[in-house]
Amino acid sequence: MKEKILTIKNLSFAYNGSNVLDNISFDVSSGCFLSILGPNGSGKSTLINLISKVLKNYKGEIIVKDRSLKNLNSKEIAKLVAVVPQYSNAGFDFLVGELVMMGRFPYISRFGREGKQDFDIVEDVMEKTKTLTLCKKRFNELSGGEKQRVIIAQALVQDTPIILLDEPTSHLDINFQIEIMDLFYKLNTDEGKTIIGVFHDINLAANYSKKAILLKNGMVFGYGEINNTITKENIKKVFNSDIYVGKNPFTGKLYISPTFNPVFEVPADSRDVKVHVIGGGGAASPIINLLYGRGYTVSCGVVNNFDTDLDTSEMLGISYVSEAPFSPISLYSQNKNLEFIKSSDIVVLPEIEFGHGNFSNLVSVKEAQELGKKVVIIEGKRIKDRDHTGGKAEKLYNKIMANGAMIIKDISEIFDKI
Amino acid sequence: MIMNAHNLAKRTSKYLVPLFILLALFIILAASLGSANLSLKETAIIIAKYIPGVNYFIDWRSINPQSAKIITQIRLPRIFLSIFVGIGLASAGVIFQGIFRNPMADPFIIGVSSGASLGATIGLLIVSGVNFLNLSAASIFAFGGAIAVTFLVYNISRIKSKISVVTLLLSGVAISALISSINSFILIFRTSDLAKVIFWLMGGFTSATWLQFFTIAPVILVLLIVSSFFMKDLNLISLSDERASQLGVETEKVKKILLVLASLIAAAAVSVSGIIGFVGLITPHIMRLIVGPDHKVLYPTSAIAGGIVLLFSDTIARTILSPREIPVGIVTSIIGVPFFIYLLLRSKREIF
Repeated sequence: MKEKILTIKNLSFAYNGSNVLDNISFDVSSGCFLSILGPNGSGKSTLINLISKVLKNYKGEIIVKDRSLKNLNSKEIAKLVAVVPQYSNAGFDFLVGELVMMGRFPYISRFGREGKQDFDIVEDVMEKTKTLTLCKKRFNELSGGEKQRVIIAQALVQDTPIILLDEPTSHLDINFQIEIMDLFYKLNTDEGKTIIGVFHDINLAANYSKKAILLKNGMVFGYGEINNTITKENIKKVFNSDIYVGKNPFTGKLYISPTFNPVFEVPADSRDVKVHVIGGGGAASPIINLLYGRGYTVSCGVVNNFDTDLDTSEMLGISYVSEAPFSPISLYSQNKNLEFIKSSDIVVLPEIEFGHGNFSNLVSVKEAQELGKKVVIIEGKRIKDRDHTGGKAEKLYNKIMANGAMIIKDISEIFDKI
Repeated sequence: MIMNAHNLAKRTSKYLVPLFILLALFIILAASLGSANLSLKETAIIIAKYIPGVNYFIDWRSINPQSAKIITQIRLPRIFLSIFVGIGLASAGVIFQGIFRNPMADPFIIGVSSGASLGATIGLLIVSGVNFLNLSAASIFAFGGAIAVTFLVYNISRIKSKISVVTLLLSGVAISALISSINSFILIFRTSDLAKVIFWLMGGFTSATWLQFFTIAPVILVLLIVSSFFMKDLNLISLSDERASQLGVETEKVKKILLVLASLIAAAAVSVSGIIGFVGLITPHIMRLIVGPDHKVLYPTSAIAGGIVLLFSDTIARTILSPREIPVGIVTSIIGVPFFIYLLLRSKREIF
């Protein structure tokens, strides 16, 4: 168990009579990268301001390195906790070097002045933050990314074990966001700095942090490893929005996305309309999502495990027929799929690639047609280019088309056909 | 490389040495000008006679005792008093501009001038004739009035031991308006003394004496030295109160200390000179353009520059319509207002 560097006990803070933070408790171990997440007004920034003692008059305890914040003066706190805010344009246009040196304030006595050690640290940090070449420039001449780096340098020369971030990247372009978050990641892993950050961008937070704390109405809603904290259910409860939680296939990190499902007025009778969507390779997901959003009863099949269409079905909680990964569709699954088709009113065939493994899905569509079900084909890429069976699938596909399937070019047209 | 850029002593003296040389030249020039015409050389010799170390080389017999008396008893007290008032106004200006994070703030922004005016009116009309510490009743009451009004404004804008800059500014404007109308109200009943009061309000050093100087100069000097130890803090406060706190400044405490010190400096200056506008506003602004915003350098250089500016203005005030004198407040305004408007237009382009 690592040493606790920050302990928050029964912390409450009221502003103008209303509680901004309501009896929160948690602790942070040394070397952690913690994200504080929550909607606007949940008390994130207040928490940062309390830990840095910009706000006082709180109830409860804030303990940094075994010492209560209440017993520490401003300079002592500034040696333990540094804050990186969003840059703002300085009213008076200081030189970059002057601004960075200001971070050494807690180490310089009232009657003293900067010593060699201060200059060494400033130079070292400016090197690390790539601000050394800006040393003699005026702050207001710099670009947004450069300004933010200067503010970071100012906080780093404080040489503190804890660094608090108050959305330092939310107004920067993505290249600067990454550059700056990489810097904090390095500080965390290489120098063991404890980093506690408020972020708006959950994906950014998930990419870099080890742990997350979710705040809602000034209370801790969830706290723990990032993967256990940022879940569909938690986000729904805290932010009141539907999201897709998955893994970034490239980094393996948690990745979220809104489901982009605008709330329409659901027609009263749409629940009674059953639509079966043939799945495969993720081609069915957008249409499933869309139909589900409009209130239709949707099912999907046959899809292999680990297929995106299966994830989507699972996410939305709809019925589906699945097959072992990378295996051809078995007769058992095909029959099960047919049962779904039989009980549906409409069968949708998205733009799927066909091989020998999933050819039977196409056979099922043909059967559906013979059973008198309405078949809607979404056509994009020509079937010729999607056929990996040597012409077998193309032939059957064309037959289905000739038999009176409805063809649409864009998924949004589907509602005209149903 | 950084070492160089931050050598404070070097950076400060780079500006202070020329400023002191300029000041010395202005002192000699100002001392030679006046209704009795004296040459620059004669003036320089007379002044040098009083400088320890240099006076050994001065030939006593070459000095006209009459000229020496004019310079040492009439012109020099006035010159030095105007320099110190200038120093006080400019340094108070630097502090107020830093705290308010606004280059348009001046020493009178939170009510020093209106308080001093009311105090002076009371001193001139009601309790004239009282003397204390070599200062006239007008001076003492002006000082007291300035402090009282600042204190009032400060307390109005204090919310739970925190002072909001905006509230401070607004209550400063409001209280100043109120105090000015009380002042006018008093004057209605004493129209016969109107000229006296108005002349005081316009500011000037007509009745400057060494006694006045030696009473007020040490006060300003001590306040100046004490406040100079807070310039590192002021640098951070000039970023923002929040940032200053994050970087280790006891922001509320330091703001209070600096507001008190700057108000005392301004009140001390105003008590012997009357209301002299624009020196405290424009001098820090010019110096910021030259030396940059670092208060550790800006503070001492602005102080000396303030002395030069006010000495220059006062010399014009007493010589331009010689033998008639015009109040120095008029001169500073005539020079200051166009410059102020120039700054406004400039900042309009650059900031907004």
